[in-house]
Amino acid sequence: MSAAGLERPQVVAHVQQALHYTLFDCKWVPRSARLLCLGSAARGTGVLQLHELRGGRLVLLREIEKAKPIKCGTFGATSLQQRYLATGDFGGNLNIWNLEAPEIPVYSVKGHKEIINSIDGVGGLGIGEGAPEIVTGSRDGTVKVWDPRQKDTPVANMEPVQGESKRDCWTVAFGNAYNQEERVVCAGYDNGDIKLFDLKTMSLRWETNIKNGVCSVEFDRKDVNMNKLVATSLEGKFHVFDMRTQHPTKGFASVSEKAQKSTIWQVRHLPQNRDIFMTTGGAGSLHLWKYEYPAQRSKKDSEGAEMGVAGSVSLLQNVTLSTQPISSLDWSPDKKGLCVCGAFDQTVRVLIVTKLNKV
Amino acid sequence: MGDESVPFLLDQGSTKTYQIPIAHLDYKFIEKCTDVKHLEKILRVLRSGEEGCYPELTLFCEKRIEHLDPRSRALRKDKPPATASDFTAEEWETINGELMSWVTEMNEDDKKPQFPGTLHERQDNLPPIRCSRSCLSANQNKKSQDKQRNKKNIPRDYSEWDKFDVEKECSKIDEGCEENNSKARFFSRPSLPIIEKKIDTTGMTKKEKIFIANREKEKGNEAFASGDYMEAVTYYTRSISVIPTAAAYNNKAQAEIKLQNWASALQACEKVLDMEPGNVKALMRRATVHNQLQNYQTAIEDLNQVLCIEPENAIAKKNLLEIEKKLKGLKPASETQGKGKRILIQDIEDSEGDEERGENTEESERSSGDKNSGVPVRGEAASGEEVMGNTHRKFHTKGDGSKVEDRETKKQKESTESGLKKGTSEENSQKHLSDHEGEVNGYLHSYQRSESPKAEKIFRSHGAGSQPVGDTSSTSLPPIAAKLKSEGNELFKSGQFGEAVLKYSEAIEYVFGLGEQSPDDLSILYSNRAACYLKEGNCSDCIQDCNRALELQPFSLKPLLRRAMAHESMERYRQAYVDYKTVLQIDSSIQAANDSANRITKTLIDQDGPSWREKLPPIPVVPVAAQLHRWDGGDFTSENKPRSTTDINREEQLQMNCEKAEEKFKTLKTQGNDFIKKGKYEEAVNKYSECIKLNTKECTIYTNRALCYLKLCKYEEAKQDCDHVLQIEDSNIKAFYRRALAYKGLQNYQASVDDFKRVLLIDPDVLEAKRELEEVTQLLNLDNSAVAGGQQKQRKKITIQEVTESDEQEERQFATSEDVVTDYVASKEAVQMNVPPQTSEKLHISEPANAYDFGQIINAVNTNKDKAACADLLTITDPKKLPVLLSNKLEGEIFLIFIQSLEYYIVGKDPGLVYQHLFYLSKAERFKVVLALLSKNEKEQVHQLFDLLAENQNHQYSLEDLESLKKVYEL
Repeated sequence: MSAAGLERPQVVAHVQQALHYTLFDCKWVPRSARLLCLGSAARGTGVLQLHELRGGRLVLLREIEKAKPIKCGTFGATSLQQRYLATGDFGGNLNIWNLEAPEIPVYSVKGHKEIINSIDGVGGLGIGEGAPEIVTGSRDGTVKVWDPRQKDTPVANMEPVQGESKRDCWTVAFGNAYNQEERVVCAGYDNGDIKLFDLKTMSLRWETNIKNGVCSVEFDRKDVNMNKLVATSLEGKFHVFDMRTQHPTKGFASVSEKAQKSTIWQVRHLPQNRDIFMTTGGAGSLHLWKYEYPAQRSKKDSEGAEMGVAGSVSLLQNVTLSTQPISSLDWSPDKKGLCVCGAFDQTVRVLIVTKLNKV
Repeated sequence: MGDESVPFLLDQGSTKTYQIPIAHLDYKFIEKCTDVKHLEKILRVLRSGEEGCYPELTLFCEKRIEHLDPRSRALRKDKPPATASDFTAEEWETINGELMSWVTEMNEDDKKPQFPGTLHERQDNLPPIRCSRSCLSANQNKKSQDKQRNKKNIPRDYSEWDKFDVEKECSKIDEGCEENNSKARFFSRPSLPIIEKKIDTTGMTKKEKIFIANREKEKGNEAFASGDYMEAVTYYTRSISVIPTAAAYNNKAQAEIKLQNWASALQACEKVLDMEPGNVKALMRRATVHNQLQNYQTAIEDLNQVLCIEPENAIAKKNLLEIEKKLKGLKPASETQGKGKRILIQDIEDSEGDEERGENTEESERSSGDKNSGVPVRGEAASGEEVMGNTHRKFHTKGDGSKVEDRETKKQKESTESGLKKGTSEENSQKHLSDHEGEVNGYLHSYQRSESPKAEKIFRSHGAGSQPVGDTSSTSLPPIAAKLKSEGNELFKSGQFGEAVLKYSEAIEYVFGLGEQSPDDLSILYSNRAACYLKEGNCSDCIQDCNRALELQPFSLKPLLRRAMAHESMERYRQAYVDYKTVLQIDSSIQAANDSANRITKTLIDQDGPSWREKLPPIPVVPVAAQLHRWDGGDFTSENKPRSTTDINREEQLQMNCEKAEEKFKTLKTQGNDFIKKGKYEEAVNKYSECIKLNTKECTIYTNRALCYLKLCKYEEAKQDCDHVLQIEDSNIKAFYRRALAYKGLQNYQASVDDFKRVLLIDPDVLEAKRELEEVTQLLNLDNSAVAGGQQKQRKKITIQEVTESDEQEERQFATSEDVVTDYVASKEAVQMNVPPQTSEKLHISEPANAYDFGQIINAVNTNKDKAACADLLTITDPKKLPVLLSNKLEGEIFLIFIQSLEYYIVGKDPGLVYQHLFYLSKAERFKVVLALLSKNEKEQVHQLFDLLAENQNHQYSLEDLESLKKVYEL
């Protein structure tokens, strides 16, 4: 390696641990060195494992088995003290678990008719102003927003009109929660649709189509005035939208980049720097990107309306960890550069990304 | 693969994949090549190994590419994660050590018991559950029913999201908290978000606070990095509100410096220095601030302090030098600064002056235009007459029969006779002119108004007989264009029509080039050029020019006549008939038009049989202002024969009649208005009704009468009047407002709400409408949850009260415009001057940029079943884009409305376009599905369209094409 190469961030595989089940999602427990692995056991039940990072290896603290395979989870809507985990499972159930007493969920609702593909939370962990809310996106075509304080019914529901074909919703994300009123939900669908729902006005604020199924969307930060949105797609491209300036007709400016030939399963922004994000690829690869802002983020078009100007994306580092897709990735909210990723080779890996503060 | 023959082929042949000459796979070539694309291809060939395995060369090629373009994608290689060997031992140790210490810290931390008491405290500060305050969360399970009526917590489907009236919804949300509502509209520039400056930290542990303070600071840093310093300051302030740290203050200082908020920057620096007296960054920043505030001495002190701590600080040294220089030459320095400022001010002043000047000239031009508008018309009209005479002759010679010849000679005689009278007639018309000028000025600057005297003038000069072209000395045209025009006129007179066309075209271009165009002049130029074309026998161009002229000046006589003649000579008798009839509506004294209309009638009867009238396109109704002989058509015909002698007298008389009617109309109206002011609504209604008998086209009369009806609580009548107005003028704001009130009176709250919204759409500043809208919305909600009869009574009472009150207010609101409005004659143009053309009544179609836009428009079209709008949409849409625009949204309904609008609106105009659309429609996604689901009737419609296409053959498609497309459509 040349000296120049070393100046760039490096990805170090700190721990690798083989598991005995299919791993769908992994999450750091906030304010701890523990992580959760969510998945499906061979006999079709759901598995929830709590590991602790201890001296260069992962120690299994707890394994909990549930009736339905668990697809996704989030800590986004819980307080730092409680750290309740919200999960979505194959049966369309939204459950919130107290990990100290995981036998019975503290909140449970049959939210969707089919599998919950994606879940996101906001308003907890000191991230996002306003009420704690959870959004779920499901194969049944609906996107529902839940408040853990309201039983049984969602506080908002975004579904296709009756008769319109239902698209499989693959991913959801909160954003724009910079004060108590503002909040948006972004949803990506299997047909390439991206819809941005404004929860304050209860309106569809924007929609676009990126031609290929949208595997993952994420705002660079949930708790600031919408800044950027990254959407990844089935055919290996990802799009970065500058969400600051919405043009009345053209919407948001965007830049797209092809990372690899295979699907980009997930995108996750570094919690400590919103302009750095990691994409996880179908061929077991990870790409670390940096977004660079243009000199002027907006300009006036011929009619005097403000329109955004997209910046550029540069690759900081890429590594290949596996031959199987890496389906999930989670940055540690507490330790900059620490992340965990789960792949379909039934392995969970803890990675360290170095020199992130020099970028 | 590693072929053994490769070395022998080095000089000839090329690679398999990219056809790169084998010779290029060579150190020398790669070293010199600068084309990155080509090098990438070479690299790919080398890596694939299909031409042999050359690891060194591959590496060399990679390096070369990296040298040329370090970001090239070809350089991205699958790499394994870094391991200990990639780092120096030291680095590796720190990486691991850091992590280990973090892990132990975390684990220890976790084992500490939490304070159980804090667990639920924060719950109390949480904002309310979404929507729970505004409505009950009942019947959510019954998703399908009545979603729209109820509010936010009910599931919404996409179509509803689409239909969403954001304004309304915002106002609904903000009903409770009014103070936010101006900021809250998300499209009113979201750049000024309301971010709380403080964070509520009650019940947080210290760890949490640190976490949050850090996070806010990071957000500030990010905002700073993206150049949004305002936001950065906000987040630093938030961070400080949780835990005041030197770093946050320091960063805030930097952001404030960027914003040039010197005072706050200074404050922040001082805070840092309170906490950390030796903070170099803070000292540097304070120095900068002091420098800016011209406290050079303190700035120097700060910099010296920096240099004490860091003697090698280059920036500090440099700044110190600069400031010392400034301090020495304090005077010149401050002067330059002052100068800079002055320039700035000057700039602003300059631009303001410019603007003012521009306005002035514009204004003066406009006013001169107003004054002159009457003048050019006269000469022009005269020239037009001449032209008309000429074309007549030609036209007649084309037509057959001695009868025509007869008439022609008669006509000639007439013109010579009138030529004798010319002197007097000229004098006369001159007098009229001056009269009219006065009139124009008197009648405010309403454009519309000036048209009527103009039309009269046309008529007058027409009556004066065929004056020769020329003497158009006083035009409002710019001198060059005027010169071109008069040259054109001369050429025309001398029969050089081709050259005349050129002159006119030049003049038109010139006028266009100026940007500011007066429609009168342009219209005349077009009209003249049309005359030339007609002379040349270039009928299609003539028609085009006439159309343009008529667009600019609807119902002007000459272009209409010329178009009629052109249509006739192209044997388009129907259109010609319509044009002649329109001409006769404007001026029934035009003999030629009368004759031609009669002749064409015969032809049409021969052609189409007794029902020929049914096949005519609609004859446009000419507004009163443009009609000249409406009031005395009777005496006119009787006077028709001794025309040439009594010409002038008759003309004056006609005008008198015309004016009398108008005067009567006006007096009636003012009487009506007076009655309103006195509160005698019944009488006012009577007066207005009389007015309406005289002139059915005046919108103001209707709106005024509607007002009276409202006062009299005759809501149904009021509504009818408003409806009438809206038929004529689809964006009359008063009519909408009054109809809304009428609906309110009729307790049709939904319709009322709709109308109020339209009012606000046209002019969002009508406060009364806003207030009314709120009220009616409330009433509507009450109505929806209607229960007791007592409530209804109450509601009624409120309604009546409100109506009277609001009417008074509204009177005030429109009082100023009333005076203006009363005098202009209703017509489309006037409307366009008053209000923006897009109103909700008519769908505004613009070219869709993407599938989403297109979908939106289609949705709107589909809900209204507005085929005309759909036709508009299809005409402006490129058929090739249709499949893309439709994406996967093609539905049976959309398909049907496409077919219908193509059939009703487009096939007649442009069958080629229809074919194209049908062709590309069949390429759309889901086309087959939709086709399979069509009912028999619907198929029949498609069939009809194809039949029409087959009838209207076009060069853009052949019958075979059509047949094959039919097959695609499974017909």
